[in-house]
Amino acid sequence: MDAEKKRAGLERRDFLRVMGAGAAGAAAAVPLLAAGPAAAVETADQRVKQRYRETDHVKKYYATNRF
Amino acid sequence: MLVKRKPTAAGRGTGMFGSVAAAAPMDRRAFLKRSGLAAGGLAAAGAVSSMSMVGKAEAGPTTPGVEITRKKSICTHCSVGCTVTAEVQNGVWVGQEPSWDSPINNGTHCAKGAAVRELVHGDRRLKYPMKLVDGQWTRLSWEKAIDEIGAKLLEIREKSSPESVFWLGSAKFSNEGAYLFRKMAAFWGTNTVDHQARICHSTTVAGVANTWGYGAMTNSYNDIHNSKAILIIGGNPAEAHPVSLQHVLRGKEINKAHLIVVDPRFTRTAAHATEYVRLRPGTDIPLVWGMLWHIFENGWEDKSYIEQRVHGMDKIRAEVKKWTPQEVERVTGVPGDQVRKVAEIMAKNRPSTLIWCMGITQHTVGTANVRALSILQLALGNIGVAGGGANIFRGHCNVQGATDFGLDVTSLPAYYGLTEGAWKHWSRVWGVDYEWMKRRFVSQKFMEAKGIPTTRWFDAVLAKPEDIEQPSPVKAMMVFGHGGNTVTRMPEMRKGLEALDLLVVADPHPTTFASVSGRKNGTYLLPICTQFEADGSRTASNRSIQWGDRVVEPIFESKNDYDVMYALAMRLGFGAEMFKRIKVVNGQPDPEDILREINYGSLSTGYSGQSPERLRLHMEHQADFDRTTLKASSGPCAGEYYGLPWPCWGTAELKHPGTHILYDTSKHVMEGGGTFRARFGVEKDGANLLAEGSWSKGSEIEDGYPEFTYGMLKKLGWHTDLTEAERTVIEKIGGANPDGVSWATDLSTGIIRVALRHGCSPFGNAKARAVAWNLPDPVPVHREPIYTSRRDLVEQYPTLDDRRDFRVAHLGKSLQAKDVTKDFPIILTSGRLVEYEGGGEETRSNKWLAELQQEMFVEVNTQDAARLGVKDGAQVWVHGPEGNSRARMKALVTDRVGPGVAFMPFHFAGFWEGESQRSAYPPGTDPIVLGESVNALTTYGYDPVTYMQETKCTLCRIVAA
Amino acid sequence: MARMKFLCDAERCIECNACVTACKNEHEVPWGINRRRVVTLNDGKPGERSISMACMHCTDAPCMAVCPVDCFYKTDEGVVLHSKDLCIGCGYCFYACPFGAPQYPQVGNFGSRGKMDKCTFCAGGPEDDMTPAEYSKYGANRLAEGKLPLCAEMCSTKALLAGDGEIIADIYKERAVRRGYGSGAWGWSTAYKDKATT
Repeated sequence: MDAEKKRAGLERRDFLRVMGAGAAGAAAAVPLLAAGPAAAVETADQRVKQRYRETDHVKKYYATNRF
Repeated sequence: MLVKRKPTAAGRGTGMFGSVAAAAPMDRRAFLKRSGLAAGGLAAAGAVSSMSMVGKAEAGPTTPGVEITRKKSICTHCSVGCTVTAEVQNGVWVGQEPSWDSPINNGTHCAKGAAVRELVHGDRRLKYPMKLVDGQWTRLSWEKAIDEIGAKLLEIREKSSPESVFWLGSAKFSNEGAYLFRKMAAFWGTNTVDHQARICHSTTVAGVANTWGYGAMTNSYNDIHNSKAILIIGGNPAEAHPVSLQHVLRGKEINKAHLIVVDPRFTRTAAHATEYVRLRPGTDIPLVWGMLWHIFENGWEDKSYIEQRVHGMDKIRAEVKKWTPQEVERVTGVPGDQVRKVAEIMAKNRPSTLIWCMGITQHTVGTANVRALSILQLALGNIGVAGGGANIFRGHCNVQGATDFGLDVTSLPAYYGLTEGAWKHWSRVWGVDYEWMKRRFVSQKFMEAKGIPTTRWFDAVLAKPEDIEQPSPVKAMMVFGHGGNTVTRMPEMRKGLEALDLLVVADPHPTTFASVSGRKNGTYLLPICTQFEADGSRTASNRSIQWGDRVVEPIFESKNDYDVMYALAMRLGFGAEMFKRIKVVNGQPDPEDILREINYGSLSTGYSGQSPERLRLHMEHQADFDRTTLKASSGPCAGEYYGLPWPCWGTAELKHPGTHILYDTSKHVMEGGGTFRARFGVEKDGANLLAEGSWSKGSEIEDGYPEFTYGMLKKLGWHTDLTEAERTVIEKIGGANPDGVSWATDLSTGIIRVALRHGCSPFGNAKARAVAWNLPDPVPVHREPIYTSRRDLVEQYPTLDDRRDFRVAHLGKSLQAKDVTKDFPIILTSGRLVEYEGGGEETRSNKWLAELQQEMFVEVNTQDAARLGVKDGAQVWVHGPEGNSRARMKALVTDRVGPGVAFMPFHFAGFWEGESQRSAYPPGTDPIVLGESVNALTTYGYDPVTYMQETKCTLCRIVAA
Repeated sequence: MARMKFLCDAERCIECNACVTACKNEHEVPWGINRRRVVTLNDGKPGERSISMACMHCTDAPCMAVCPVDCFYKTDEGVVLHSKDLCIGCGYCFYACPFGAPQYPQVGNFGSRGKMDKCTFCAGGPEDDMTPAEYSKYGANRLAEGKLPLCAEMCSTKALLAGDGEIIADIYKERAVRRGYGSGAWGWSTAYKDKATT
């Protein structure tokens, strides 16, 4: 499985950022984590790759700390 | 729904912990729970094969591919009001995320807030209604439970009187729940309806309301950013209100503000202080007068402020003169130089703020303590000023709201009192006939008489009929959301419990009430859901009102407060009248509609502008509000203060922005400005009580003025600004005397609207009262605790004489006369731990919290421990001076407490005189951690104004076990 | 590339334990295992200070150096992770760690140790990101979700910082300058040394 590609759409919870009410409409969201019980294990390269990104969530964290 | 929840039985062991749960299907939660308890160090845990946290693949907290929704509610623990962002999947609360947009918590939580998700998994919650049958807990249906309870209540009403039922509500109710509960007691026909404010800040409310008008925090947590000096006295917010420290420490850092902590105990808050002052418990007034002595001596007071806005400061000066540095040191134990230093810091670094909590309020001199502190801030001109204020940190998540809505034996909702006028106002709001309402009571006298406070209910059960000023003693107790170990004198309380004909506990947990006594029958437990399982608004300490959305449906068979009160009211026969103006669908009252009724009637406190729609809008646009001023600068709420802190005058359509800082004359009243409230007349002994030369910005009356009435509008010629419709309402309410209709009873809100339009506070513009002539001590004076260690001071500073109030006796001098210091030489004080809250049943049932604090303990000073032969970590017996009381616990030997002082946390219960009571809980509902209660040892002593209990100074004896 | 670091501002930490329960909440860590804990020095005395402690994700991680089965690995952004499939629960890493981070569940009646568990910087483990398999062994993978460790995100007083080492160092410096005093960022030099570049 291409890990990079998977991550692109892969915010476990992000895809419903739309907040409660709108969710019904946004429910077209695809099941993102369809990795079945036979869980795949990452390759050596995938294991160490960068995961951190300066998302809005992370930026808000930094901003509230400067506060 | 609730697909993943497996209500497995909770452990029931004999030690401090339950033993391991019985074998359950190997799902992840059960697995973790099991291995966890094993790792906790006890019991032969069924050895789990390979502890690699490997569970079944599909057993994560979220299920792949299933929609997740986010809900915002408010933390149900302290009064800071942190927003909780919950992630819900399949109707199960699966994750908690930071709430960055909340201007109050900026995404953060304390240990309790970060663990609230567990409350709604609730392995140890009460799962269905139960009753005691010959000492055995038996399951029954909701219908049967309500029917039996209703029948018994009606029987008591018939045989005794409505006054024989004690209604104990909760600071954990939503505003709507609190209001409904007060209303229910009114429709039942009694004023004996109370809640936790009695035992946390009732003296604050009485003290500050009697000084400047309203019983609430004047500024906000956020406003502390503006302070140049911060004095925290009798409070340990690092443990009690941890998120508030974010704001306190920010003030300290940005302004290089002094942080002074005054406490008998070197608390976690004191650890961050720039100056720590250790005083003897119960000597706050001498310390404050000692500070004022230096302030007056050096002319550091704000003279023009006092002249314009304060009544009676001269009488304070006379009292303060007695408190020379020598006398202050003799009484308080605080070195004279330090008192001067602290006074100088507060005086020369203005605006300076004053923060207090239960170390001030829970005393026989609680109200006087509060008044002394208020007077200090008035002398320094710090009230009504950004960065100043009396920043009173309230306790529970909605104790401010529950107080505002009259869960109080002295008032109807919104502080209207119990007078005929108040009853007529609320009868109009409720749409019921006043005469009908009157018939619900024993008589008009009882309709207007203060009820019995929660600190004394058991005295009212055990009293001989001739010793209690009501038709018969209390026979039934209805407890909604209240711990059973929170009131002093528990040995007496147990006797009271056993003497009741009926005990109903409606709560997510059985609480100590269910387990502490030897009751065998006539006890019902009703499972109420948490506020996370209900919609409703709650008022934070700073008066901001926040709307919480239901995160998940009530779990197990639990129901929300509204539904249960509705069912009960219907069974008791007054449901139709009580819910006349409230929408009810399928037996479920609509909380938004309850709020609309609150808005309609609660004019006196400015609870009228906070419509459900406006509150929801604020929650939706939290990010638009400034983190210090709480004002939105953009978006749909621009110009408004976060949560529309009361007073938010007039109707929602008037768009009043709410009031961030009370009594702030630098702003126009339509921008949140205000004045001191004219509540005590216009003149006293020839002195003018109205402000002189001070008014809020833009006021058309440039001087003091009394509260607004229709008659006053006429005199000013402003009555022509009223609309025809408004005038019609006023004249209808006023009947023969329309001129007497005031801003607080005018249901058209026209008088308020017109006053604001002319830049005036509807409640007038008066002076704050340094002298409160209606209180037992108009000028606060020092009085030694009843159980004092300083017998040499009793004669000079005695407690009050024995008296009567609130329908029962109130002992003072006769108890103080007895010297017990020989047998009980150590001062015992109590306080909070960060992991637990209140009586602690809920938090001690939360495994993430319980793990952090597994044992009850007593802090003993190192010198005392050496003398007593007590080793750190060893078990000790602590004996109290009343009724041979005793409790067994672990000694924590530390210099955190001074010599001669011992400290205990007050969150524990479930042990009694060394014996575990685990088996007394209904199976599966026993909290994980149990321990002895400090209130098993605490003693008699009540504030004369509110009957607040004395929890901070009693005496004890400690012996190695 | 950003280097992930933790920093605890001892001037701010009030020992409220939010970091501990946030961790429990996010990863459903069992009773008895504490990936993070708060340590208080000079308890009850003037000079009392508290520090929130977990795996510091060291630059030269001693746990990695001593592990007999080589179950550790370090990501390109400096997060130290391990494979529970390889771990034998020997406890060697516990002796090596200057911060006491590794934890071991008791799995039998005779004190036998289970597989080591420790803070993952909310970055999961060797299983595919954000899968139930990863969650059940290591907990959530917030880094992959575009978030940071929940302990730091929820810290009541903003004492516990986590994220890009350069940014949090900068935030901390701003605070120290504003205060005019500071206690130093606790554990920072032990964990990251001078060679900790980002």
